[in-house]
Amino acid sequence: MIGKKSRILILFYILVLVVLFLMCSTDLIIREPEKGVYEVAVIIEDVRDDNYGNFRKGMDRAAVEFNADVRFITLYERLDGGQQMELLLREQQDGAEALIVAPVDEESISQAMSKKQVTIPVVLLGTESREEKAGSGVVIDYEHMGRQLAWEMQERIPEHCPVVILKDPADKSAMSEDFLQGARAVLSDHGHDCLLAGPSGKDGYKEMLGEMTEEPAVILAGSPQVLEEAAGALREDSVLSGRVWGLYGRGNTMEILNDLDQGRITGICVTDEFSRGYLSVRMAIQALEGTKDQELLEMDSYYIEKENLREPKFEKMLFPME
Amino acid sequence: MSGRKIAWLLLVCLFLTGCQRAQKEEEKTSIRIGISLYRGDDTFINNIRSVIEEKAKEYERESGIKVTLDIQDAKGSQNTQNNQVERFISLGCDVLCINPVDRMDVSVIIDRAMTAGVPVVFFNRQPVEEDMNRWDKLYYIGVDARETAILQGQMVVDLYGEQPWAVDRNEDGVVSYVLLEGESSHQDSLIRTEWSIQTLKDGGVPIEKITGGIANWERSQASALMEQWLDAYPDTIELVVSNNDDMALGAIDALERAKVTGVNVVGIDGTTPGIEALESGKLLGTVSANKEIYGSAIVDLAASCALGEECPEEYPLTDGVYYWTPQEILIQ
Repeated sequence: MIGKKSRILILFYILVLVVLFLMCSTDLIIREPEKGVYEVAVIIEDVRDDNYGNFRKGMDRAAVEFNADVRFITLYERLDGGQQMELLLREQQDGAEALIVAPVDEESISQAMSKKQVTIPVVLLGTESREEKAGSGVVIDYEHMGRQLAWEMQERIPEHCPVVILKDPADKSAMSEDFLQGARAVLSDHGHDCLLAGPSGKDGYKEMLGEMTEEPAVILAGSPQVLEEAAGALREDSVLSGRVWGLYGRGNTMEILNDLDQGRITGICVTDEFSRGYLSVRMAIQALEGTKDQELLEMDSYYIEKENLREPKFEKMLFPME
Repeated sequence: MSGRKIAWLLLVCLFLTGCQRAQKEEEKTSIRIGISLYRGDDTFINNIRSVIEEKAKEYERESGIKVTLDIQDAKGSQNTQNNQVERFISLGCDVLCINPVDRMDVSVIIDRAMTAGVPVVFFNRQPVEEDMNRWDKLYYIGVDARETAILQGQMVVDLYGEQPWAVDRNEDGVVSYVLLEGESSHQDSLIRTEWSIQTLKDGGVPIEKITGGIANWERSQASALMEQWLDAYPDTIELVVSNNDDMALGAIDALERAKVTGVNVVGIDGTTPGIEALESGKLLGTVSANKEIYGSAIVDLAASCALGEECPEEYPLTDGVYYWTPQEILIQ
């Protein structure tokens, strides 16, 4: 027979065990690491996200993987630096824990960070030459990209053939400026006259190209938008397209890839935008968790023509599976 | 403290809590809209998506209420779309705008939305009436398929009335046509086909169907079908009636490849490539929903649902559920 004292002792042990079990199961002793949802805002330099299709796919993949709530924000007016800064501050105020920004004006973002107006981690998506100063980013060396494209161009175009460089006069972004600077340097070194031109009249690039290319010429577009417009002008005007020996540029919107596939665009330089989207979100999350191992990640750029568009390596990069 | 005092104290607390809640609702300065598209590569849906983005910005600027759009592509999978809806709800979306993959299978979406109390605005692909009647916070925005089809038929009737030889190219007194149809499960395919042909008949156009096929709204599938038909029925086809612009463009691609001229092609949707084809004279005509109004209606209705307001007066709802976007004929 168990004595009264022993019974009380057993009951006490059982009670202790129950209490311990309850404490464990309710996180009182062994705490599960809390994994909150990270709020990240992505602010680009454009009003549309056409050039960010693959970037968004990578971004969405990272959002699911790292438990992040990623908001993608476009501007009201393209390349409006003031507005981008307003949105940056608004998102910070509205609870964003980190920002990913394709900067219109790197300088003002750097200033806002140094003046502590922006106090949350910022991952920049700009050009390598500028972001070195700003700190953290997934960057592209646009000047190198321009040089790379120009090298490919000069191997394919006739000697001393003039190159018409199309540039949107409103586009003062470092991406376009660095890209064209790199391209011009190589083309000029190889004896090609570079004629800088912007849109004119109501027909924009079409009218301007009509005036400029009475003699055969090669066209180099400074940005994806300009490349799309130039390809559109060639699509509509067979006489004009007959006078253009080649159309080159950068970007990988569906429209650009279709025009490359159709042969209206001769060659483009691209980067792996899916990886860029993924890496930028990862970098933002790492900054929040304090585990960031790299401040600046540089993306490689690749030259692509119609002939190698369907190579598995490029197909995987340009048409990524989600 | 007496019981009466405690009762008064409780009453005051309740009142203050109520005030605070009302103040919180009044202060809503941002809304979040979860949008799921049945397929992001559909040209018409892509056009609508662009308009929605534009209109959301306009709304934000005019009202001062921040609008966050979460746009996802379901890639033709209802399962993916259901998961997207779940994620939208977990991210705290105030309202969902859903372009269903399978209009007959939206019950999971409705269940989840009802449980979370999140209103749903369906668009472009109309769920069945039984589903729409399940909750009073379900809406549909689209075009009246019957009206679309009648307008499509009418543009051929009008042309035939003015210049019969422009439609009856071989002037044998019969207009031989082929028909390109959208998905068999889409409500608009059947209605567009039926009423377009009925309008041609009612309008006195002597038509004869050579053949027809389902190209699932896709340009490439329509192009392949048309190529086969041009081989099987050479010099016979005078008119291509297509349920949408993408398939009409597919037919044009096949005609160009086969170097066949003089065949009239009519489409529906007024997509950007469709309008380009119209301007270049390849497409005879199309019926276009007013996309500005379409996109505005989606954004404005979604915003008013999110803010708990009444539907805006400029979008009168049929049966309190359906808004039909106005349409117009675009012809060469």
